[in-house]
Formats: sequence, structure tokens, C-alpha cells
Amino acid sequence: MAKAFSEIKWKYYLNYVAVAIVTVVFGGLSIAGALPSSTIYLLEKIAISITLAVSLSMVVGFLGELSLGHAGFMCVGAYLGGKVSAVLEPMLARTPAGKEIALIVSLIVGGLVAAVFGIIIGLPALRLKGDYLAIVTLAFGEIVRSIFMNTSADSFGGALGLETPRFDKKYLFIIAFVLVFVCLAVTQNLIRSKHGRAITAIRDNEIAAKATGINVTKYKLAVFTISSLFAGIAGVLYSYSNYTVQSSKFSYNYSIEILVMVVLGGMGSINGSIIAAALITFLDIKLQTVLTGDLAVLQDLVYAAVLIVIVIYNNAPGLKTFREKYNLKNFIAKFKKTKHDPARVHDDEAKWDRVPTKIKMDELLSMDIQPSSAYTPDKASKEDK
Amino acid sequence: MKSIFKKSFAFILAAVMVLSLAACGGYTADNTEFVIGVSGPLTGPAAVYGTAVKNSAQMAVDEINAAGGLGGVNFKLVVTDDVHDATKVAANYASMLEGGMQVSLGTVTTAPGLEYTKLSKEDNVFFLTPSASGDKIPEFDNGFQMCFADSNQGAAAAEQVNKTYKNQTIGVFYKSDDPYSKGIFDKFKETLDSSITLVETVFTGEASDFSTQINTLKDCKFIFMPIYYQPASIFMTQAKNIIAPDAVYYGCDGFDGLAGQFEDFSVIPQEVSMLSHFDSSATEGDAATFIQKYTEKFGADTLNQFGASAYDCVYAIYNAMKAAVDAGEKIDVTISASDLSDILKAQFAGDFTYSGVTGTNIKWQDNGYVEKGAVKYVLKTANAADEK
Amino acid sequence: MEFIETLLNGLSIGSTYAIIALGYTMVYGIAKMLNFAHGDVIMVGGYMIFLSLTSVGNPILGLLAAVLFCVLLGISIEKVAYKPLRGASPLAVLITAIGVSYLLQSTAQIIFGSAPKMVVVADFGNLTVGELTIPYYMLITLGCSVVIMLALSLFVKYTRTGRAMIAVSEDKGAAQLMGINVNAIITITFAIGSGLAAFAGFFMLMKSPSLSNTLGAMPGIKAFTAAVIGGIGSIPGAMVGGILMGVVEAISLTIPAIAPYTDAIEFLVLIVILLFRPSGILGKVRREKV
Repeated sequence: MAKAFSEIKWKYYLNYVAVAIVTVVFGGLSIAGALPSSTIYLLEKIAISITLAVSLSMVVGFLGELSLGHAGFMCVGAYLGGKVSAVLEPMLARTPAGKEIALIVSLIVGGLVAAVFGIIIGLPALRLKGDYLAIVTLAFGEIVRSIFMNTSADSFGGALGLETPRFDKKYLFIIAFVLVFVCLAVTQNLIRSKHGRAITAIRDNEIAAKATGINVTKYKLAVFTISSLFAGIAGVLYSYSNYTVQSSKFSYNYSIEILVMVVLGGMGSINGSIIAAALITFLDIKLQTVLTGDLAVLQDLVYAAVLIVIVIYNNAPGLKTFREKYNLKNFIAKFKKTKHDPARVHDDEAKWDRVPTKIKMDELLSMDIQPSSAYTPDKASKEDK
Repeated sequence: MKSIFKKSFAFILAAVMVLSLAACGGYTADNTEFVIGVSGPLTGPAAVYGTAVKNSAQMAVDEINAAGGLGGVNFKLVVTDDVHDATKVAANYASMLEGGMQVSLGTVTTAPGLEYTKLSKEDNVFFLTPSASGDKIPEFDNGFQMCFADSNQGAAAAEQVNKTYKNQTIGVFYKSDDPYSKGIFDKFKETLDSSITLVETVFTGEASDFSTQINTLKDCKFIFMPIYYQPASIFMTQAKNIIAPDAVYYGCDGFDGLAGQFEDFSVIPQEVSMLSHFDSSATEGDAATFIQKYTEKFGADTLNQFGASAYDCVYAIYNAMKAAVDAGEKIDVTISASDLSDILKAQFAGDFTYSGVTGTNIKWQDNGYVEKGAVKYVLKTANAADEK
Repeated sequence: MEFIETLLNGLSIGSTYAIIALGYTMVYGIAKMLNFAHGDVIMVGGYMIFLSLTSVGNPILGLLAAVLFCVLLGISIEKVAYKPLRGASPLAVLITAIGVSYLLQSTAQIIFGSAPKMVVVADFGNLTVGELTIPYYMLITLGCSVVIMLALSLFVKYTRTGRAMIAVSEDKGAAQLMGINVNAIITITFAIGSGLAAFAGFFMLMKSPSLSNTLGAMPGIKAFTAAVIGGIGSIPGAMVGGILMGVVEAISLTIPAIAPYTDAIEFLVLIVILLFRPSGILGKVRREKV
């Protein structure tokens, strides 16, 4: 059923357009040979980060489970995909488009094996809650890393790392952005379907979701599987963007870095994750390449300071009024100087028939359901003073 | 949300655009100095090695510049931070190359060096690494090492052991997740005489408690430790009352800097020796002069063979460039990295020799490995005798 | 004999983990947050011990200085970085904690340089009983840990503040209504946790003399794991979890075939235990009510 053109919510497709523009503009420049390597590396890293952040945001932002082992899934993808490509490429050296075939096969293998691991780690997720699950995923990531680190030199390279072929750097980031597009399409369509609503229902109140007949087991496993599938694919891309895959990269610190992207982007906001992933990767690499020599020690300091300030600014309950007064929206609105026209108000505010959803039923419900974590201290802190 | 997304997106696009405006190729056209680049760990657990290289290379560059540079042209050193992480090398390499790097010291450590080797091959950038000792680092014709390759160290150590410890039990303590340590150990084990029984103990990561491993090794009279001095010093301090006082600790060039870790090295009762190219407790020769200069400027905290080797690398590159100029090559300040690489490759693969802090008459094989004398330094003899 | 030595070693490693895990677990129980910067407070404590050893030379004074400084540090971290976020999403607090952790590590490197410091606290020697050789520092660590754990248990059980802590961890809202100053209790918890971190730093340096800005990172994670194994939020649980982790670590390191996988094995123990007891060994099973 085709919707009328005017009915399509363009807002929903904005991020596709953005990714497409980036891919076409930079892809064109790159093929024409006008992009310096530093920009190409930056774009590769940004594409990998976005894939990771969007896929993690499914677990953390939409399913509401904290995962600290995303780098572990990526590690599986990077090693398996890297191994496949390292074996296949010499075999297919004489076949036309042999490199491309190797790339596709390794993406499939890396992604699928990571997805299998996603199911394995999804199983305890059915039994464990919150921080317990977080530490189990962290443990999983460290175990995977440790296993690959101790493999023999001719299987997965062990301590020396696995040597992998690098795909032509002119084209790799284009492929990476195409995969970002695919990842986005899958995630977004899932989230906006009835399944997506079921997933957010589980996040908001698992027991209520169960009571309404949602198959919690199925959805939890599905989200973990899809999320790790894309982490695995990001891992394969990573192996293609480097000459060696070294297990030390995939420690819990990297998982945390991805988590930071998701949290800074805003929980349950895919666009937010994309922006945060791009900005953090950009900041990271700029700090690394600009602060050289004696200034290098300042990198982490700057990064940490930025992180703390942004999180406190975005989340502190005490700064709420300040935030509302000086946010980006108002700032832009000042320049636009549009008159308030009730007929032109978009989104939820305009749809009076959707107003009841503004009463956040789930928050109300969850208040007395989770005695351990649902403490809302707003009232408490006022009384203190 | 919509407008925020648009704005941020536009910002990212603009930022990346600005970056890509940097002209492609001809990065060295605006150079007013010869630019030497190096990527090493300046932060994180391995920072001490990168810092030593940064300080020493800068010292060499300053000295060369003070003496008039090469034909009046000064040198400039750029040190980027890779946190001992191979993934960070590509960005460092690209930014240095686009910033006008003409010649390079490669990376400080092996793991990132494996990446650097292949990247620098793409653009044909010459590098002479002070301390990335992996066997595969000088895989291509543009890469050379100032330190011994890992397998050579492992083989040399095993040959020495074979002579004295036939039919005996010896211990080994290595870091299984470190290419340097694992590389030496694998070759050592391979070369070791089959009559010798080997007690293997390992550690990983940033572990700093080795009491379990020490307990396993306590009956060994000879312990081979292909690790860096920092964990070695912990091991020795923890083991001093457990391992027999007449045992011998034997290490490779990573041991250098060990003495500086102790206020009083004689608290360790056992003998400590190493097979290396530099001894940072040296009291005579070029090494002593270097140590004195370094300590005056940066303190003894970060003094180790990484620095000495980096100091030599800068001078070796400078000498090779000078030799090429003397031989009639034209080296302009705006020479491209690739052109300079061809000149230097010819020098290093040819008859060029260099004498400095880490050895005399240093030559390079065609495959990039260094040829110089490995000396067994006895850092400390067993002091069981004076205890009695 | 060798096994007994390994076991003792495991107990001493484990009791250090337990001391760190206590900090994690208390903060978690009361502020419901994962304090990822806790490991780095250990590192700061280590540097304080180093500073006092080089200036005064007395390890006990060094320990006192470290405890004092860490308590102040813990309180100020809580006030500056965590308190503004009280009531915000727990994940936001987690990210700030990570930020604080980076901040502490990087500041330490700027101040003390990149070279690790050798800090020899004191040379205690060995105790020889028959064939057993036991380094004294192990006994000191074990003894101190037991005293600390006992003192803490008594403090929590029998003092007004301690009972207030239990009340806050059970139900903040109700505790507030009973007239407990929740903010003060949280501050006290951070102070105690950070003070314990300084002790842990002292034990770690006594065992292994190397001090760098990443000293606390891995022990921090392991202790966190220990806290979860024992049941996060439970004080005896942290002790049990810590000891278990230490013993597993020590035994695994002595078996050559699995020694390189030691970290993995410790984490595997965690997963297996949580599969059978999802709230940890001594954790309370909370039934969800509708």
C-alpha cells in the first residue's frame, strides 16, 4: 500500500538522506582521487563507529539492557572475517572480482558467527538483570579477547595479531557507509514496526509486556542477535581497514567507548547515536593527531573533561531550567524568527488525538514496580535543602 | 530533534570538507625544515618507552640543528601518540605524511609497527625504527631496524644457554600477549637443546603480581626473561627471598633500564645479565656521554635503550643523508618522502656504516636487519658471597 | 605444600580484591551506581604512599596520608561529578564515572610522568614453617583485611550511621521519611569506599612495588567482578567474591596449560555462578511486584 506522497514522514528518512549524501559526495571525491588518506581513514573509522553505535543502541536504548561487551562481538567478526578474507583472497586472486567476492563472503561469515555469539550471550540475558547482565557481557568480551590472544601463530596469529588483507582504501569507506545504510534500514524498520513497539514495551516494563502477551524471550534474543550481527560486520570492516587485527584493541575499554556514543547520543535515539558516534570519533582522531609530542598527555584530559561536562549538562536535573532556556532549538528558532502558527506545528504537539501518550504510563507504572532502581530523588533532594 | 540533526550533520560535513581541502600530493612543498616523524606510545601503560624515544630523538635533532643541520637546513621532529595500539597508527601516519614528513623512525613498539610497515610501503617512506624489534618490521625494502630482531635475540640467547645448561632444568618467564616477548620466546624454545627441561611461566596484560609464577620457578637456577625491565623489576623484587640467591636472571634488550628501577640494585641477591646493544648503567664510552646528557635534561626516570637507540637512529639518518650529499645526490629541503627514501635505501642497503651509542660499525643487511655486536652485560653479579 | 602456598597467595590476592570490592558494593548498594573511577582512587592512593615514602620515609604515615587524601578525593568526586546527576539516568552517571576515571589517570601521568615508579614499602622477609615459605606481607595483608572486614561489618550493624546506610540501601524514600539525611549517608559511603581503596593500594604496593597510572584499572574490574559474584550490594558477598577470585587466579596461574587464560577463567567463573545464582552468591533475590 503506497502512502500518499504528502503523508510520508520525511523526518524519518532524514538520516538515510544524510548518509547517502556523505557516501555520494565523499565517494565521488575519493574515486576522483581528491581525498587525502587522513580523511579516508577518518571516514572509515566514522562509518565503523556509527555501525557499532547504532547496533548497540538497539540493545541499550531500545531493549533497555546494559551491554559492556559489544567489542567482543566485533572481535569475533574481525577475527573470523579477517581469517576468511586472508584465506580466500589468495585463492581467488585470478578470479575476476576475487577481492570483492572475498569481502562479501567474509562479511557474511563474520556477521553470522558474531550473531551466533549474540544468541549465546542473549541466553543469560533472559535470566539476568541490569548490572548483572552488564558484567556478564563485559566478561564475555574479555573471554573472547583472551581466547584469540592465545591462539597459535598460524590459526589466528596469537599475540602477533592476524594479518589481514586491506581493501583498496579509495573504496572501503564507501562500502562501509553502504553498510551503515543497511544497518540503519534494518534497525529503523524494526524499531518502527510492531516488533519495535514490543521491544520498547519490554524496556519500559517487562512484566507488563509479558502480561500483554509479548514473547519476551523471542524479542530479547532477536535484539541481541541482530545487534551482534552488525557488530560482527563492523568487525569485518575493521579487519579490512587495518593490516593487522590485534586482540588488545577489543578490551572492555572499547566497549565502553561505544557505550559512551550511545549514551551521549541520547537513549533510544538512532540519530543521536549517529551524531555522537561521528563526533566522538572525529574528536578522538583530531586529539590524537593534533596533540603531538609533549602535548599528547593532554588528550585524555580533554576527552574526559568534555565527557563529564556534556553528560552533566545534558542530564543534571538541577540544570533543567537552564537547559530549556538555552538549548539549540531555541537558539535556531531565534534566527528563524518564525511566527507561532498553530497550523504549522508538527509532531506530537499538534496531534491532539495522540495527547494521551504524553502521559508516560510506563514511567508511572514502573515507579513502584522496581523498588531497587526506580528511586526518583527530585522530591528528596528538595526536602534536604 | 530534526533541526539539531541537520545542524550537526552540516557541521560534520563542513569539518570533513575542510580537512579534505588539504591538497593531495606534494605535501613537502612548503617544508622549511627536514621533517622526521615517529609514532609511539606517549600515554597508556607503555608510555615510558615512547617518552624515552621522544626525548632522545629530540635531543639528537637539537644537537644536529645546533651544529648547523644538513647544509644549513634544520631538522624537525614530530612525535604522534599511538598508545601502543595498531588501530591508531594509520591516522598518525597519514597526518604526519600530510604534514610534510620526509623520513621516519617508524614506530616505537612492535604491535603498531606491523601496521606502519605496510602503510609506509604504500607511499615508499623510509623508516629506521629504534625499537620495534618484530621480525616482520623490516619486511619491505623501505624499513630498517636499529635494534636486534626478536628471533635473532631468541636464537642468540638459546645458543648461550645450550652451552652451559645441557641436561638441566631452566625456567622461563614471559608475557604471552606481547609480540616482543612471545617472538623471542618462540625462537628461544625452538633453538633450545632438547636435553634441557623448560619450566614455562607467563603473565599477560598489566599484571603486577607474579607471586604464583615465582613459586613455580623457585627451583630453577637459570631463568630466561624476554620481557621489559619494568615487569622484570617487579618479578625480582617479589622473588628476592624465594628464588635461590645463586640463580641467574637472563634477559634481552628489554632488560635495559633495570638498574635504574632500584635505589639499590644489590637488594636483589641473584645475578642479572642481559644480551643487548646498550647498557644504561654504562660508565664509559659514547653510551656514558649519552646517559649524562639525557639525565641532565630529562632525568633518569625514562632512561633506557629505546631512547639510546632513537638517538642513534636520528644520527644514522642524518649521517646517511650527509653521505649521500657528499656522494653527489641532491637533497633539497622540499624533497618528497619517496625520493628521499630511494636515496636512503641505497645508503642503508649499501656500504653505509654508523658508530654511535648502541654499537660501532653498525651495518644493515639487505633485509633490513641490523648487524652489530650483541654484548652480554652482567648488570649485577650474585651477592650470595657477601651475605655470608 | 606447594598447594598450601598457592592457596595462601590466593587468599592474600583475594583479600585485596575483597577490600576493593567492598568499595564498589557499598557505593552500589547506596547510590545505585557503578563507580568506574573506584580503581583509579587506588592508584591515587598509591601515589600518595609514594610521595610520603620519598619525603618522610615511614610506610605507616604514608598509609595514613593516602587514606586521608583518598577520603577527601572520594568526597569531592562525589560532590562535583555525581551529585549533580542524582536522579538522572544511571547510565549518565556511569559515563561520568568513566570520565572521572580517565581524568584521574591522565592527571597522574601529567604530574608524575610516564615512567612507572618503584615503591618498596618495606622489606618484610619470609616466615618459614617446616617446608612452608610464607612471605610476611601476605600475612599482613590477610590480617589487615580480616580486621577491616570485621570492623566494617560491626560498623554497619551496630552504629547509627551504619544502620542508616542499610536503610538507605533498602529504600531511599522511606529512609528519607524516617529523617535520615540521604545526601550525608551517600557522602559517608564514598568516603569509606575511597579510604578502603587507599588500603588496597597499600596492599598492592606491598606485594608488587611498581606504581603507574594504570595501577588500579584491571584490579578495579576484577574487584567489580568479585562484588557481582558475591552479590552486589552485599558486604559479606564482596568478601566471599573477592577471596574466590583471588584463589581462582592463584591456582590458574600455577597450571601452565591454562595460565595464559587466567583472566578469562576468572570471568568464566563469574558467568557460571551467575547462571546458577542470578543475584550472586549472597545477593538478595528481589521479586518483582506488579
